[in-house]
Amino acid sequence: MCRESCLYPFILRRGVKAGLLLRNVKKELEVFLQQLLNGLSCGGVYALMAVGFGLIYNVLKFSNFSHGGVMLIGCYTAYFAFKIFHSSLFLTLLFGAISGGLCAVIFEKLAIIPLRKRNAPKIYFFVNSINGGLLSEYLIVATVGVFFHTFPDFLGTTNINIGQISFSKLNLTMLIISLITLFGLMWYLYKTKSGRAIRAVACDINTASLMGVDVNRVISLTFFVSGLLGGLCGVFLGINYTIYPQLGKLIVKGWMASVIGGLGSLLGPVVGGILLGVLETFLTAYIGSSFTPILEFIILLMFLLIRPQGIAGVIVEEKA
Amino acid sequence: MNKLKVIIILMTVIFLSFGLFSYSWGAGEEEILVGNIQDMSAGTAIWGQNDTNGILLAAEEINALGGILGKKIRVITYDTKGDPTEAINAYNRLVDLDKVVAVLGPPTSNVGIPLAPIAERKKVPVIGDFMDERATTHSGGVWNFMFLTEPSCSEQAEIAASYALKELKLSKFAVIYNKANSYSVKMAIPFMAYVIKHGGEILIAETYLFGDTEFRAQCTKIKNASPEAVFVPGYVKDNALIAKQLRGIGVDVPIIGNNSWYVPLIELAGPAANNTYFPNNMATDIPRFQEFMKLYEKRFGMEPLIHACMGYDNMNILAEAIKKAGKLDPIAIKDAIEQTDHVGVTGRIKFNPQTHRPDRMPLVMLKIENEEFVTLGEYLPPLD
Amino acid sequence: MSFYQGVIIIVVINVIAVIGTFLLTGMTGLLSFGQASFMALGAYISGMLAVKFNIPFLLAILLAIIASVFVGFIIALPVVKLRRDYFALTTFAFGEFLKAVLNLSVTITGGATGLAGIPYKVNIWIALISLIIVILLVRNFRNSKFGKECLAIRDDELAARSCGIDSSRKKMTVFLFSVAITSFAGCLYGFYTCYIDPSMFGWTKSSELVIMVFFGGLNSLTGVIIGTTFLTLSLEILRFTGAWRMFIYVLIMIILIDFRPQGVFANWELEWTTFEKLLHVPLSIIKKEK
Repeated sequence: MCRESCLYPFILRRGVKAGLLLRNVKKELEVFLQQLLNGLSCGGVYALMAVGFGLIYNVLKFSNFSHGGVMLIGCYTAYFAFKIFHSSLFLTLLFGAISGGLCAVIFEKLAIIPLRKRNAPKIYFFVNSINGGLLSEYLIVATVGVFFHTFPDFLGTTNINIGQISFSKLNLTMLIISLITLFGLMWYLYKTKSGRAIRAVACDINTASLMGVDVNRVISLTFFVSGLLGGLCGVFLGINYTIYPQLGKLIVKGWMASVIGGLGSLLGPVVGGILLGVLETFLTAYIGSSFTPILEFIILLMFLLIRPQGIAGVIVEEKA
Repeated sequence: MNKLKVIIILMTVIFLSFGLFSYSWGAGEEEILVGNIQDMSAGTAIWGQNDTNGILLAAEEINALGGILGKKIRVITYDTKGDPTEAINAYNRLVDLDKVVAVLGPPTSNVGIPLAPIAERKKVPVIGDFMDERATTHSGGVWNFMFLTEPSCSEQAEIAASYALKELKLSKFAVIYNKANSYSVKMAIPFMAYVIKHGGEILIAETYLFGDTEFRAQCTKIKNASPEAVFVPGYVKDNALIAKQLRGIGVDVPIIGNNSWYVPLIELAGPAANNTYFPNNMATDIPRFQEFMKLYEKRFGMEPLIHACMGYDNMNILAEAIKKAGKLDPIAIKDAIEQTDHVGVTGRIKFNPQTHRPDRMPLVMLKIENEEFVTLGEYLPPLD
Repeated sequence: MSFYQGVIIIVVINVIAVIGTFLLTGMTGLLSFGQASFMALGAYISGMLAVKFNIPFLLAILLAIIASVFVGFIIALPVVKLRRDYFALTTFAFGEFLKAVLNLSVTITGGATGLAGIPYKVNIWIALISLIIVILLVRNFRNSKFGKECLAIRDDELAARSCGIDSSRKKMTVFLFSVAITSFAGCLYGFYTCYIDPSMFGWTKSSELVIMVFFGGLNSLTGVIIGTTFLTLSLEILRFTGAWRMFIYVLIMIILIDFRPQGVFANWELEWTTFEKLLHVPLSIIKKEK
């Protein structure tokens, strides 16, 4: 009798403790999943940035920092399109992408073609691309002005909630659109003639021209395609965050993502972008935002020392 | 090709030489020159442009009434890009080449602090809104030629903290601030110190850095800490994003802000901005402000930010001081500024001669409700 | 200190910092994207020594330079043997790392709120004398045997090594020298503006320095000096263009690089021979032994 009466509270206590432990684990798991989702949606945008960035790198072998400027212009023109025509989400994205593409081609005409004509060393392309990015920023500041704008909430602010985890419909939609765009890009590069031309030039610019590929036109085409991606990414950034002239500076994240993920294939920047987003989120969540840049860079460096071609990369060329 | 190069180089040289001669060699007979140093193109340009608009509005009003001492005011504005070296160059240019009688300064302390010793040497007064105490005082006393026309950052933080503790009866706070920004850090630290000193608790203090746009990691941690309120003292863009992301994650408790929660925050954050309390430089429901807003909107076509109000008041304070001094001597004007007792759009401004800042100047607590600003009233923490 | 003097001092500080960067890239081919962080090291260490310990101006600068060189040695040790772009990324990472550390250390360095109260010590004479000393040092360094070996390394490392030149050690030495010069520029900067904060020394500043080197000409010390002077001055001169100032500034840079992608001055140097030709007088009496 005594043993039984002692047993029940004992089991009860143990049971309650186990239950609490499970609940803690469940809570921790939920927090973990929430942070994972945060990281994935953040990483999706980085991936998109890195892909557009990587396209130029593969073809011309330099880090194109004007991609940030392309994102900026795409974002602003999409915003104005929206203000004037009240377009839907998809039309706004399309408008942003196309203007991004045009902007990239203009940049090519202004800053890349003269250098190519003079056989400039690669480093000057890089220098000019930084200036190109700055040029778009200052253009916006001088013309549109410095005030912040936002896109309205296209799909409402409804969140999808599973338990304690929530993510917004908008983020989900953008993730899906990014995936569709990436698949579209893959189809374009591998199944169409002009896509093959781009890959040929990426492989070896001189041999491709010997084989009859019009290298100049292909390069302009590459810039246009990369600009499409950049403009799209810019609109995403504008929707997710705010529209402001310094938006282009976010390209540094894209650059880091492509270093981590590796270039030379389409998969590399995507993997790098998602990894970077998830890494950043987890570092901020579990270690605090102050240490995040420090650790990020240490990890970046370790990647370079241990696996210089990045995770999924093929090319081991110089990135700066 | 060579000829083309020569032509381009020649054109560049001619173009640049325009710049060498484009300043005013001192004022004309009928003019008073006032300098204006602002960030017009970098990250805080939205402040600088508004500040300049407020100054221009005030100058135009004064000129329309006949000017000061029979002369018209002309404002010369230089862009600093938020960079201290540009600000130093701009100040020197205004004082040495343009020969202004006074300078109206920026609302950022990273420019204000380096200007202080230079103003002391060149003896041309600077009236501005650099909230860091080091821009107006140093360990040996006051910077004689620098004047701050609003409460300093610790005063503002304490007003917000005291209001939250005493009026809203909140005691458990989470804080999220920009560790890479002086403005944000200098408000977060005094806020936390005040709360702890007066019996409150800081459950969690999260940080972010300049250029960050993703705060969901920090917001998730804040959500898990279950605070009664969240203190968010950042720049308006970051504040809006944090508000959206906090609400998006499900944190509905009141947000306590700083004076960067006014326009255009509601535009940027939408319904996420609701349930926010913050100290503001001016009350929005008094006739003085409503008239100013009408004039400003008519002239510039948009709503004034707080910096527009501050610029407007600063220009008026300067004008009064020039009138009081009776002559265009910067040192006499500086002495007159010290005697200021002015009621402007941002309240009553009267300097403490030992600090060149207004003592115990109240701020107006505002609440954002239904996507509108509601004035709650002036507030000062009780003396303790 | 009038306006013109102020502008000249800023130009001088920029030129010294760019010379530091130029030394590294021009002589070893290594690209450093963290030059601004060495300026930060110089400025912060000398500033803190002066503010907190009241150490005199020159001594503080000397100590700061020694400390920066030491830090530079530690960073470069693992990477100097590697490729050019790893070095660039390492220095970039170090730059951001330093900025993050500075922001964290609110109690020691003031963090984001900056370090104020540095005494004003840099007037135009100190600036100009520093500039002349740095130019002479770098010029002699470049013209020495050591310098020529470095040029060999830059142009073809493998060939140089097969000739018996220890490339890693030379690269390290040049890097340390360039760190010393850049951090000296940083010290001058701190003692001029009397206020420093971490945001002034980010990767944008580093990339500005690198761009100025390439703008001036990778092989030309005079080119780099003239180019940097031109760019810094034009920033001030272009004030009359109002809101379009920065746009025009960057546009001019792009156009000039378009036309001269070896740098505006490419390989041209201001030498005694130039003066000889101009004056038709053999200046061999004063010409230094090369």
